This record gives sequence, structure tokens and C-alpha cells, in this order.
Amino acid sequence: MNKKNSVTSSPSVFEVLKPYRLLISVLVGLALLSNAVNLVIPQLISSAIDAVGTARFSMATVVGQFFGASLVIFIFQLLQGFMQTYVSEKVARNLRTELNERISRQRYRFIVDADPSKLLTNLTTDVDALKSFVAIGVVALFSSVFVIVGASVLLLTIDWRLALNVLVVIPVIAGAFGVVFSRLRPLFKKNREVIDKLNKIINENILGAALIRVLSSQTPEYEKFVVANERARGLGMQILRYFATLIPIVVFVGNMASLAILVLGGRFVIDNSMSLGDFAAFNSYLSILLFPIMVLGFVSNFIAQASVSYRRIREVTDAPDQPETGTRELQLSGHIRFDQVSLSIGEKQVLKSVSFNILPGTKTAIIGPTAAGKTQLLYLLTGLIDPTSGQLSFDGVPMDEIHKSTFRYQVGFVFQDSILFNISLRDNIAFNTKVDEEMVQKAIRTAELQDYIQSLPDGLNTMINERGSNLSGGQKQRLMLARALALQPRILLLDDFTARVDTLTEQKILDNIQREYPGITLLSVTQKIAPVIGYDTILLLEEGELLASGTHQHLLNTSPEYVQIYTSQRSTNQLET
Amino acid sequence: MNYNLNFDSSGDRPMSTPEMFRKIWQLVGNEKSSLIIALVVIIVNSLLNLIAPFLIGDAVDKFVQTREYPGVIRYGIILLVIFILVVVSGYFQTQLMGQVGQRMLFNLRNALFTKLQELPFSFFNQNKSGDLISRINSDTEKINQFFSHSLIQFAGSMVSMVGAAAFLLSINFTLGVAALVPGIVLWLFTRWVSPFVKKQNAVSLKSGGQLSAEIQESLSNFKIIVAFNRRDYFRQKFEEANVDNYRKSLKAGFINTSLAPVYGLLANIGQLIVLAFGIYLILNGLFTVGLLISFLSYIVLFYNPLRQIASLWSSFQVALASWDRISMILVLKNDLEIIEDQTVEKLVQQQNATVTEFSKSTISGMNDKLTANDRASIERPVLVFEEVSFAYTPGKNILTRINFELLQGKTYAFVGPTGGGKTTTASLISRLFDPVNGRILLHGKDLRSYSHEERAQRIGFILQEPVLFTGTLRENIVYGNPELQLLSNDSLLELLHNEGLGGLMNRFNNDLEMEINASGDGVSLGQRQLIAFIRAVLRRPDVLILDEATANIDTVTEQLLGEVLAKLPTTTTRIVIAHRLNTIENADEIFFVNSGKVTRAGSMQQAVELLLHGQRVS
Repeated sequence: MNKKNSVTSSPSVFEVLKPYRLLISVLVGLALLSNAVNLVIPQLISSAIDAVGTARFSMATVVGQFFGASLVIFIFQLLQGFMQTYVSEKVARNLRTELNERISRQRYRFIVDADPSKLLTNLTTDVDALKSFVAIGVVALFSSVFVIVGASVLLLTIDWRLALNVLVVIPVIAGAFGVVFSRLRPLFKKNREVIDKLNKIINENILGAALIRVLSSQTPEYEKFVVANERARGLGMQILRYFATLIPIVVFVGNMASLAILVLGGRFVIDNSMSLGDFAAFNSYLSILLFPIMVLGFVSNFIAQASVSYRRIREVTDAPDQPETGTRELQLSGHIRFDQVSLSIGEKQVLKSVSFNILPGTKTAIIGPTAAGKTQLLYLLTGLIDPTSGQLSFDGVPMDEIHKSTFRYQVGFVFQDSILFNISLRDNIAFNTKVDEEMVQKAIRTAELQDYIQSLPDGLNTMINERGSNLSGGQKQRLMLARALALQPRILLLDDFTARVDTLTEQKILDNIQREYPGITLLSVTQKIAPVIGYDTILLLEEGELLASGTHQHLLNTSPEYVQIYTSQRSTNQLET
Repeated sequence: MNYNLNFDSSGDRPMSTPEMFRKIWQLVGNEKSSLIIALVVIIVNSLLNLIAPFLIGDAVDKFVQTREYPGVIRYGIILLVIFILVVVSGYFQTQLMGQVGQRMLFNLRNALFTKLQELPFSFFNQNKSGDLISRINSDTEKINQFFSHSLIQFAGSMVSMVGAAAFLLSINFTLGVAALVPGIVLWLFTRWVSPFVKKQNAVSLKSGGQLSAEIQESLSNFKIIVAFNRRDYFRQKFEEANVDNYRKSLKAGFINTSLAPVYGLLANIGQLIVLAFGIYLILNGLFTVGLLISFLSYIVLFYNPLRQIASLWSSFQVALASWDRISMILVLKNDLEIIEDQTVEKLVQQQNATVTEFSKSTISGMNDKLTANDRASIERPVLVFEEVSFAYTPGKNILTRINFELLQGKTYAFVGPTGGGKTTTASLISRLFDPVNGRILLHGKDLRSYSHEERAQRIGFILQEPVLFTGTLRENIVYGNPELQLLSNDSLLELLHNEGLGGLMNRFNNDLEMEINASGDGVSLGQRQLIAFIRAVLRRPDVLILDEATANIDTVTEQLLGEVLAKLPTTTTRIVIAHRLNTIENADEIFFVNSGKVTRAGSMQQAVELLLHGQRVS
């Protein structure tokens, strides 16, 4: 009972057909027509055999009718094929677009929570399952039912006594399918999981190829893979055993029907209560009848699988849109205020009641040990994530009231991890469409990229490989800086920018920024104290807590933790100054 | 070697039938004997299936028409026995054939994975990971579909088709030939269109691969998409790939679905020929009604499997196209072969040379600091670069004729501007790539002559971008270190503390079971680098390379790392790649890497000079 409830309450896979009602009706219509004509063929054979030797026999009529029927079937089937491809591909394409539109409107947090690899499955495997459902399942379902009903009716009209005996096969075969598939379904699910596991191992081995080669850890990876692969084989064999049992049973039941036709039908022919032609027709209809019963069995499984996929897709498309709130279009001055901001990710508290104030045009450094919450703090500042409690505001306006698009044009963010797109260098820098050529050039100059770009034969039109694999770490960082600067931001957020850029370049770049983008408010997460000694404020973050803030001198006098960090870098400071 | 899979054009070439069968045979591998047994059972099953209609026709002729009911009953009993035998043979047919398919699939997956492991890093560097993933996941899935669903039907259909044809010809040869003519037309037709069908399917598969590569890229870069207000870019790029995939799938789908109606038409024409020609023969007294009924059954038994094959044909073609795409990977060879070491005979001579050269340049400076142990190690430089040049793309040298040597137990720093070739040098040492010219000697032997296991054991490389696997912290730490995998959590922690890694483990609250997600943001970049560091140190390599490996770690933790490094065995040679000076101030020697050259910077001061004022080309 419970099971029934869950089935009815969850979205039915047939809903996916609703917008295509007309197309589907045409498709089903074509399929039914070709099947209807198909049912006529045994009739033609039967009457031809009965007519042999009588006066009403005409070879021309037989050939003409038969050929005509075949041609009609051919045309209908061809149209049906085109139609089903068209409809199913259209459904797949639109589903993908819908999914993607939905994903593209979501917030960053949604993607992280939903897991990108699961979304990838939604957009590929799940959509493919629905595509096959529409292409094959729908037509097979309707035409099978139609053929079974049609052939049954015809059999009953020819000879109801014999027909009743033959039609017993329908419930028997249906029952066999029902029993076997109910056992198979959990196996199919397990099988899917094993395949996912196999794919996961493959993915990790592709993405971690460098490490695996450095460690030469191919053998343990292979062992991991073989275990999963063996499990896949074992499950495959289990599934196979069910099919190996089911199919001969179905064939046997069908054969018993033909035996019934011979023994009982033979009796009727001998008794003169049935014609020989009808006897032949019975045999023909039996073979027409058996096939759709089996098809129906397979289709039921098909529909079950498509339903699972559809449910998963609906989870994404039905997820409430998280539109970015806020309507106030601000001209940012650079005044930032954190008021008791806390952030938790899962069970982990990343930031604990952090408060500070940043004035327009100032330079602020955020330092602190690994996993202090520095990066998450920057994410909060771009609105990628929202605080769990507390409030952050720009120019006195709370974040959630600010119009996000206009806001983001004014905030440049250089991420810590290199994220570049597989498009040209120019398009990577001018990633935002509002950026014009002059802005690009200025950003390139500021990021000290001009020499590098000039050394490239294709200059700005050079294509960047996926994940920027044709660039060095520092080049990637500078490219990302140029991308952020090209926006002409009012606020620039640097996440450990200096980690991969050498000291000389770093100094030049920071000077360039001061000169080319005067009045910019700079927030820089960094490990090195030396370059930020002159900054207006230094925030010291540790384990999500703001331990101290103030100028370098102030911190040296008041914060032992700061002094510890500073001492750890002293020898370098001496060298560099 | 070119590893770019999308570079290949062999997909355009039509495949001949023998070539196709050779390919299938290749796939069969060592399953040949099982396959033959399975085929025998399939033949038995099909024969039994074929006898039934014949007996029915015979019964009609002999007993129904002559109204002898006991004969009908007798035939009925014979049929019942045959039908029971069909159940048995049917069971074994599916079992045996299916098992062959499952094992073949198992072997194929293993072969593919082994190949992935065997191929060098260049392969992954030259291909989009999204495309690779799609190629492997979805193409094996398509072959899987074929093996687990279609293969049995395919084989069964083939056999019953041949059997039915034989029966047709033996009942009445002329009628049989006439009935089979449309079948021959079909065969020619199939041969003619197959290459085209396969090509269209390959095009559509390829576009599917691009689509999933696109999705992969967009999803993993979602941060940027949001931060730069480019949700439109996300949508637009996806839509382009989506529409392209739609068009190509549509074309392939149209072609695939138009095959079945053609088969149906010709099957009906076959029936028509039998009917018309059979009636003609009956009228002339050359044939019986009973035989005509049997004949019509056989025609169905011939053309139905043919239609099934037709419907399977496209999935067969898809499987072949997938097989092609996978074979493209399987035929690739690792160009990082293990070679015979050719340095032995020259070794003595060489060592003499290096030692003298060495004494001139370096020893003089620090002679007084040397202990006996150091002197011993000087006899054998751990690592030597001899005239090494390297280019990712021919003609564009990243490194040009590099020479240097590193001694046991020393710490070396490689500094220089970004893009100067530091990471490339490190990649060559850990043999992610081989030099285009020149060679690298490890303990006096050509690096290329070491087995991959030994080389990996001797050379530790902490990558710039740390790689973590989804799993626990423990799994990530002991990764690639089989001995440690046997330890309990407590003894592992103890070991970590003994190795001086305790301070670092405190950063994770000593929680070895902490869950780590390879892609998620749960672990910060600094923490990732810490894990990679612990992992590498635990392996106790001869040479440990840190490629900006502490760049995102705060300086206090970095001091801890420094202490760990200092506690490493005195035989360990450390190579530190950095531009942050504090990380290199303990170096015994500093190399300056820039514009394809590696030059020795005599002192820290000189290195600073070079860094600050040196001419940089990047």
C-alpha cells in the first residue's frame, strides 16, 4: 500500500509528454495505423488460401491488396520513425535547456549542495533515459496494447472457442513478467550504483592523473577498479539468470498456445466447424500476438527506469528558485561593514561573530592560518554565500537589499584557485560583456601581462586550454587579476594572489593598481606581512574568529598571535627590505 | 607522441564487413571457446524452434486434411516434448551467451582502465578531461547496452535466420530461393548504408561528448559565472552545445529509424512472393496447402529475426562507433618506455668528469663545512641534468640544454619568475614527461631505465595543485603507501607524531576519519596542501620536490613544515620551488630558472638580486 502511495504522489513520467500532446498524438496515430494495417495481412493470407481452387480466386487481387498493404505500412512506419526521433530529441533538448536555465538562475550554494557531478548525470544520463522513453517506450506501449486488443478481437471473431484457449497466454505471460521484474528492479538499482562507482574511479583517475603517475599508484587504483568491476559483472550475471529463466518460460507459454491451436483447432477443422484458412490465420495471429506481450513486459521496466530519472530531474527543476534578492542599485563607495557575521557550512562553524569596518579607498589585509575562514569571508563579500547570522552592508545598505548585478560590476574578485575558460585570452579577460578594448588593455598593463601576450604568436586571440593547462601558475593568477580589473571595480578582492606571483611582479602590480585604479578599495587575503605593512588595516583571523585588527604597528603592540606570525617571517622581511 | 584523441580522422573511413568482423573477434578476446559452446546451444535451440512449424504443417497435411484426429494428437505429444526441450536449451542459450557478454565487458573495462593507468601524463594534458570522462563512461555504457541486451538476441536471430533459410530451401528449393531474394536485397542494402549509418552515429556521439565536457566545465566554474554576472554565458555556451547535439542526434536518429521500415517492407514482399508463387504451385499441383502454411511460418521465422537484427543494427552500429572511440585509446602506447640503461660503461668516466668539475665550482666555496658523509655523497650526485631540452609543442622550447647536478642530503631552491620553467623542470624529474633532448640521471642511471615503481619510490613530488580523493583524511594520507594502510588509526597517529607531523595533524584535530570531498569546498586550499605534504613525506623519498607546495599555507604552519623537512633523513635531497624567499633561505644552493635556462645563483643575496632586477621573460 505504501509503495502505491509513493508512486502516485511522485510526478508521473507521462507528465513529460504534456507539452507535446499534439506531436505525441500524431506519433501514436501513425504507429496505430501501421499496426492496424499489419493486422490485415494474415486475413489476406487466410482468405487467399481459402479461395484457392474456387472461382472467386484472383491472383491479381491477392497480389495487389497484399502489396498495397505492405506499402502503406512502410510509409506509416517511416513517418512514425521520423516522428519519434523528432519528438524524443525535442523533448531531450528542451529538458536540458529547462534544467540548465534553472541551474543558471540558482545561487552558488545550490550548485555546491547539489553536487556538480550529480547535476551532470541529470543533464546527460537522466535526460537520455527520458529520451529513450519517448522514442521507444511511448510508441511501444500504445502499439502493443493496440495490437494485443486488436489481435484478440480478431481471434474472437474468427472462432471464440479456440480464441479463449489461446488468449489464456496473455495473463500468464504478464504474470511472469510482473514477478521477474519486481525482483529485477532492486538489482537494476544496485547495478546503476556500481556503474556510478566505476565511473567515479575513472573520473578520479583522469583528474588525478599527475599525482597517480608521481606516486606510481596505478596498482592500488587498479585493484579498487577491479573490485567494482567484479561486482558489476556479478550483478550482470544475476540479472542475466532472471532473464534466462523468464524468456524460455514466455516462449514455452507461447508454444503451448500453438499446440492448442493444432490440437483443438485441428479438431474443429476435422469437425468442419472451422475452415483451414481460419486455422492458418490463427497461427499467424498468434505470432503477432506474442511479440507485443513481451514488448509490454520490457516497456514496463523501461517506464520504471525513466520514472526514476524523471523524478531526479524534477528535483532540480522543482527546486525553488533562489532569485537574488535586492533591488537597490548602489554606486559603491567602498564602505564595507561586517556586523556580527557568523557562517556555518554543514556542522562546521567557519566564521564566528565577525565585526569590522572598512572605509572607502583604504587597503585592508586579512591574514591568518590555514582554514581560518579567510576565503569564505571573501565569498560572503561577493554574495556567493550568505551569512548564517549577522549582517554585512555596503554604504550602510544591507547585502540582501542590494541589486546584485549592478553590485557585481563594481566588485572584482581574484579567486585563489585558477578558474579559466576554454576560450580566447581576450574573452577570458573581457569575461564580462560590459568590458571594452580599452579596459582590457588597461587591465593587461596593470597585471603585467603585456610582455607575455606580446610573446604569443596569436596574442590576445590565443586559446586557453581547459583549466588553463597551457599557462603557468603565476600567469593564471595574473590573468585572473586582469579579468577582475577589467570590470573597473570599486572594490578589489584578492585571495592569496601573491602566493603564485613572484615578489618583483607583485610589487609592480600593486603599484600599477594604485596608479591606474585610484580610489579603489582593496581587500587582500595574504600570507605575507611584509607587503601589507603599510596597509590601513590588517585583520587577523584564526579559526573563524577575528582575533585582532588595526595597523601593523598597533598589532605588533597588542597581539601576541600577530607577533608570532611576524617573527616567523622576519628573516625574509629583512632580506626584502 | 600525439595523444589528442580528437585529432584522428579515421572515423570518416568506411569500414568493410571483414574488418568489422575482425573487430568483433578482437572484442571476443579469450572468450572464443565459451562463445563456440554458446553458439552450439543457440543452434540447437533454433533448430528445435524451427522443427515445430514443420511438424504443424505436416500434421495439417497428413491428419487434419485427412481427418485423422489420433495422428493430430500424436504430433501434439511430439511437439510438447520439443517445446520442453526448447525451454531447457533456451535457458542455457541465454545463460551462456550472456555470461560471455558479461565477461567480455568485464575484460574490456579492465583493459581500458589498465590503459588509462599506463598512458603518460601527456595524454591527460592533451585531452579535455570532460571529453575523456564522457568517452569512457558513456561509450562503455553503450557497449554494455549492446552486450547485456542485444548480443543474445543478435546471435539467436542470426542462427534462426540461417536455419529458417535452410528449411525454406529444403522444403521447396525454387520457392525458397524466390522467398529469400528480398533478403539478399536487404543484405546488399545494409552493406551499402552501414558506413554512413555508423558515421552519423559517431558524429552524434562526439557531439554528446562535447556537450558533457561543456556541462562539466560550466558547473565547476560556477563561482566565476556568478561573481562576474555571466549567467548568460553559462546558458549561451550550454545552449550552443545543446543545439549542436540536437541537430546531430536528430540526423543520426532519422537514419537509424528509417532502417526498420525498409526491412519490414522487404519482409512483407518476401511473404507476398511465397503466397503468390505458392498458390501458383498449388494450382499446378506441385505444392500442398499444409506445406504452404509451414512455409509461411518459416518466412516469418526468417524475416522476423532479420527485422530484429535491423532494430539491433543501429545499436550494433552505435556499439561499434563506441568501440572505435575506445580503441583509439587502447591503441595508444606509452611513450615513456623503460629503456635499457646505457650509462653504465660511461659511468666511471663521467663521474670523474663531474667530480672534477664539481670541485672546481662548488666545493671550494663550502669546503670547510663538509663532513665525511657529505664527501661520500659528492662522489655520487643524486640527480644530474645533462643537456636537457624540453618542449610541449615541437619548436617551442620551455627548457633549453639544461645542465646541473644535485647532491645527496642537500636542499636546493629553484627560484625564478612565473612561467620560467620551474614546474616543467620538476615534472621532468618525476618523469611526467621525458626530455626532448638530453637525459636525466638518477643515482648515475638514466631516469628512464627505472621501473615506474622504483622511480616513484625514490622521487617525491608535491604538486602545485594538490590532488585529493573523495574519502577520509586517512585514505588520502596513506594513499600510495601500502605498508601504512595496514596500521590502525592509533598507530598511524603515533607514527605521524614520531615523524614530526603531529603539529600538522593538529590542524585537522587529529581526526583521521574526517570526510574529504575531491571537488567540494569543504577543505581549504592550504589544508589540501598540508595533506599532500604529509602524504609525500611519509613515503620517505630520496628526492623530495615541493612545487610551490606551501604557497597557500600560513607562515606559522610553514615553519612547522620547515621543521619536518629538517627532520627528514640526512640522505634526502630536497628541491624547493618557490618565489617566497623565506621558504628558500635554508637552501644549500639556489638555482635561478628563467626563459628556458637554469643558472646557479651563488648566494642568497645574488638570488634576490636576480629575482628583483634580473631580466625576466615570461
